[in-house]
Amino acid sequence: MTIILEADHLTKIYGSERAVNEVTFALGEGTSTALIGPNGAGKTTTLSMLGGLLEPTTGTISLNGEKRADVRKHIGFLPQYPQFFSWLTALEFTEMAAKLSGMDARSAKLEAQKTLEFVGLGDALRKKTGTFSGGMKQRLGLAQAIVHKPKLLLLDEPVSALDPVGRREIMNLLKSLQQDMTILYSTHILNDAEEMTDQLLFLRKGQLVEQGSIGDVRAKYDQPRYRVEFGRAEDAIIYSERAPWNVQVEGACGTIHLAQGFPTMADVLKSLAESGLDVRKAERQTANLEEIFMKVAGQA
Amino acid sequence: MRELVVLFQKEWRENTRNFKILWVPLVFIFFGLSEPLTSYYLPQILDAVGNMPEGTTFPMPEFTPAQVIMATMGQYQFIGMLVLVLAFMGTISRERKNGTGTLIYVRPISYLNYFLSKWKVVGMIALMSVWLGLLTSWYYTGLLFGKVEASDFFAFAGTYSVWILFVVTIVLAMSAWLPTGGAAGLSLLLILIVQIVDSLLGTYWTISPWKISTYATQWLTGSPDSGDFWWSIAITILAIIALMIFGVWMSKRNASKTKV
Repeated sequence: MTIILEADHLTKIYGSERAVNEVTFALGEGTSTALIGPNGAGKTTTLSMLGGLLEPTTGTISLNGEKRADVRKHIGFLPQYPQFFSWLTALEFTEMAAKLSGMDARSAKLEAQKTLEFVGLGDALRKKTGTFSGGMKQRLGLAQAIVHKPKLLLLDEPVSALDPVGRREIMNLLKSLQQDMTILYSTHILNDAEEMTDQLLFLRKGQLVEQGSIGDVRAKYDQPRYRVEFGRAEDAIIYSERAPWNVQVEGACGTIHLAQGFPTMADVLKSLAESGLDVRKAERQTANLEEIFMKVAGQA
Repeated sequence: MRELVVLFQKEWRENTRNFKILWVPLVFIFFGLSEPLTSYYLPQILDAVGNMPEGTTFPMPEFTPAQVIMATMGQYQFIGMLVLVLAFMGTISRERKNGTGTLIYVRPISYLNYFLSKWKVVGMIALMSVWLGLLTSWYYTGLLFGKVEASDFFAFAGTYSVWILFVVTIVLAMSAWLPTGGAAGLSLLLILIVQIVDSLLGTYWTISPWKISTYATQWLTGSPDSGDFWWSIAITILAIIALMIFGVWMSKRNASKTKV
């Protein structure tokens, strides 16, 4: 896989505060990467540096192996709250954006129209952006980011401000862009990250605390376990005393962590059957991204 | 080059759609009209509104045509400058503040073109306003007071245009450098206050951008000292270029302050 963008020890210092601290990662061509982390972790600052808006205090960004290139030629950028000139129409704005990225007048007009229809603004081409709702602005923001067909798409919280319907639609649009573009997007909505990600980057207090494919990260932080639900709380306690492995009791549930003893599901079911207790449910659980997030975000 | 055209078109649309292209010239035309009219009709106005005792006569000053045009410029030097500063103080700083600049700055634009596009549009509006206003004043002065030679008038208005470009460049450079409020304050200081200081203490020197308006008026009654005049023009053009370089540099440096 060719590396399209490389960030090497990227650091941004404001006064005495290190907003982004020695962040190093690479984006492979055609991959989607989710930048996740709690608020104030440095996601927006990182994206601003990659987008050429902010100069890193130290560290380098290379695009296609070229250091200090004008990255702006090859990217599409969507800020968290895109602001438009209220006196321009959606078509005029997108056309201008395409032209400023080097397209000639004819194809700019054509592509602007096509892109706006693609993001679902086909009915609002000639409406002033000042009248747009939040959802429409987000769509227009996406349109201006992709109209010039950039290689790399940088999106800051592309769906956070949207309602569930809008979020689904934008996620679907992004998924359909995955084939043609390398995408880096920040989010704190973990379901979205789980849905469309080859690589996860966890930022916390400006530092990259975890990175890797979603499978790798999950394997590292996942603590698989069996969870058994009993009809009555007493049964859970009885079982925890009798079982050959360590059982944690919480209400009417017993949880067996797989780290200790590694019983198979069959072992567990057998012991449950022999116990003659009122068992309602037994399942093997893996951590979801949210739990991993809490773990990574909370680690000291 | 094409990039400059695209940015210029954007600025032009902005100023058309917020009607600055209309109301700024109207202000200047208003003063170009009112100055000769009120000077001419002052005795009748006083008659109509004043409770003068019977038989009072005022020796009304006799205005020369040149004086009327100078008085128009006098209005521009205060109210006109105020209008230009207030209308264009946010040209660059506002785009940073409300975040509309972000989507421009992430495009591969050069900040030279960014600044130039604004300078051209604002300069055009300002010059158009001043010329329309002065032409109005010249026309009515000719009608009511007497003729001012066309060559004198054009030498005057042409010289004054250099000062207007200087003012416009100050406002834009300050807007590139500071937030809108600071840009307005410092622009007014540089345009109005320094002008007062220059006229108070300025007897000690003769070459200064702030003396351009005085030299402009001298074309109406004769001609300014040639050496002082050309040196002042040269210094002013140099100052304009220096302010533009500063403005481009500040636009670039402050791009990172845009709301993301």
